[in-house]
Amino acid sequence: MDIIKEIYDAVMEGKVDDAASLVQQALNSKAEVNDILNKGLIGAMDVVGEKFGEGELFIPQVLWSAKAMQAGMDLLKPLFSSTNHTEKGTVVIGTAKGDIHDIGKNLVAIMLEGSGFKVADLGVDVTPERFVEKAIEVKADVIAMSALLTTTMPSMGEVVSLIKAKKLPFKVIVGGAPLDQAFCQEIGADAYGMDAADGLRKIKGLLGR
Amino acid sequence: METGLNNRCAPHFRLLDEAQILRIYQSALRVLEEVGVRVNLSKAVDILAGNGARVKDKNVVEIPSFLVEAAVQSAPSNVTLYNRKKEPAMELGGRRIYFGTGTDLPKTVDLVTREIRDTKADDIVASTVISDAAPNIDFVASYGLPRDIPPGLHYIRCFQLEVENSVKPIFYTAGSLQDLQVILDMASAVVGGRQDLARYPFLVQYSEPTSPLTHSEEAVSKLICCAENRVPINYTPALLAGSTGPVTLAGALVVSVAEALSGLVIHQLVNKGAPIITGVVASSMDMLKATISYTAPEFRLTHSAYADLFHYLGLPIWGTAGCSDSQFPDLQAGAEYGFTLLNAALDGCNLIHDCGYIGQGFVASPEMILFADEVIAMVKRYMRGFEVDDEHLAMDVIRKVGPGGHFLSEKHTLDHFRKEHWRPAFFNRENLPNWIKKGKKTVDQKLIEKALEILKTHKPEPLAQAVKGKLDAIWTEAEKKIRR
Repeated sequence: MDIIKEIYDAVMEGKVDDAASLVQQALNSKAEVNDILNKGLIGAMDVVGEKFGEGELFIPQVLWSAKAMQAGMDLLKPLFSSTNHTEKGTVVIGTAKGDIHDIGKNLVAIMLEGSGFKVADLGVDVTPERFVEKAIEVKADVIAMSALLTTTMPSMGEVVSLIKAKKLPFKVIVGGAPLDQAFCQEIGADAYGMDAADGLRKIKGLLGR
Repeated sequence: METGLNNRCAPHFRLLDEAQILRIYQSALRVLEEVGVRVNLSKAVDILAGNGARVKDKNVVEIPSFLVEAAVQSAPSNVTLYNRKKEPAMELGGRRIYFGTGTDLPKTVDLVTREIRDTKADDIVASTVISDAAPNIDFVASYGLPRDIPPGLHYIRCFQLEVENSVKPIFYTAGSLQDLQVILDMASAVVGGRQDLARYPFLVQYSEPTSPLTHSEEAVSKLICCAENRVPINYTPALLAGSTGPVTLAGALVVSVAEALSGLVIHQLVNKGAPIITGVVASSMDMLKATISYTAPEFRLTHSAYADLFHYLGLPIWGTAGCSDSQFPDLQAGAEYGFTLLNAALDGCNLIHDCGYIGQGFVASPEMILFADEVIAMVKRYMRGFEVDDEHLAMDVIRKVGPGGHFLSEKHTLDHFRKEHWRPAFFNRENLPNWIKKGKKTVDQKLIEKALEILKTHKPEPLAQAVKGKLDAIWTEAEKKIRR
């Protein structure tokens, strides 16, 4: 079988060790690095994300596919120069100030990484200032914020205000059980993700990738 | 190592203690000895009399306890049902639970128009195909009583349509000895003769004595016929507390158990060890509406009580659940399905019938077979309990993740999530935005859509053409003989 297809299958099935050894094998046999990355690792993870969104794959399966993808990526990273970005984009992510619920946020972060994004995870109870500082530091494309408690929702609006006041280029996406599209528009955020799969889809949409 | 541990916990439930079981059982034995049962078939009266029973005036027979005890001894404690292909399908015995539909509903809620109309032969095919596709429906029954088939023929036609449209075991009714014989001919043709039918039975005859304490000629004829042919029969009375039996639940149990046990005696005297399934319905008659409740809490109490008694006697047990008194699939039906199915599972009944019923045993609504299937799946997961061993106590992964981490990407989670956690096929677990996006579908809409999809796409394994031809010939012959 085609080695790229084998890598693709290993990621689809969440086989971490197989993914790593197959990528190494592909590199040894001088396979095209871009093919290993785009057709093998990322190609599989894109499909995993879609299948999860359609209810065909379960969360633990998605996460193990992401791990398999990461294991392959770790072997490829040294081959790319610092100017030659392997990432689809950079996302700063965190749970909004006043809230320590992070399971949904973690899920989005893992799926983003699995799909080839660079993720800076600020954890929980993150102040608006911290989101913006970090985004400047890592030259982020997107700031992604999550909340479960309704009381923490206003701090998301403050992040948008800060970005607008400083005329910064970051896109903002929000998500979490109590939120909806109306709230997203109210605070002037760029997108709302109704769940992890939708969040991933919307971030790709924001960046046109 | 730790010792003396049971690594699995599971729900279990008993209503009666041993003293209560014996009190009800001994009262039933006294009823049979002191009051007797009316048996409207001289052949059966003669068999009883010839074995030590005392015949009083006019077919009333007093049955001594030793005959009951002998019948309990000789009756099998396990009855294996096969599917149409002679493969073992159900082990009726112990606390193994199996579910299926019921028989003879004259009205049907149309899947498309939602009108309540007469049941037709096409509906028998539809419910059989749906039952064949439903993973938690273990056996099929006619479900409907087709009004477009002449009386005297409809049980034969139902059986033919069922056996043509499902490989699953069949729970069937017959009007008289005459159509029972025709049905047994058809069943024999399917497996290759009467001997093979007795060796690999894939059908259970459902017949009833009449409360209080009467065996009709038809019922007892069918009972004897099944015993002679060694094909399984479910011989179970349906008593209404306050009208055809005492109003008190204990009294209703005593009478209905006496009816069932006297049937068992006749059956075992005809052919020792012949397969029989025992149970009763002792339900409430609504004293305001004069209707029979299929789901009254009192019925569920007598259900648990007779299950405890027949488990004690070591007999395979019939049950009733997944049914509703409501005339339409609604909230009441949902609650009654949940309540009765959980109850019957906890009772450990083996042959649980009437799944998909609404309207107090008068109305069919085919998508409700799938609703019952969903609730059964949920109940089965609950009954399975959970393991309490080192792997499932999960200390290693708890240590690894620690405070504030998450378990989503742990191997332990990946290894166990599928088996440990049940997922619904129809019940909604969608979040609000997704639910709105997908058209705000309620569970009843999803059930109807699925039922229609099954009817379009599910192709039951067909009967061999030669067998089908034999059944057609038997049908044609029966039509000539019985219709007149």
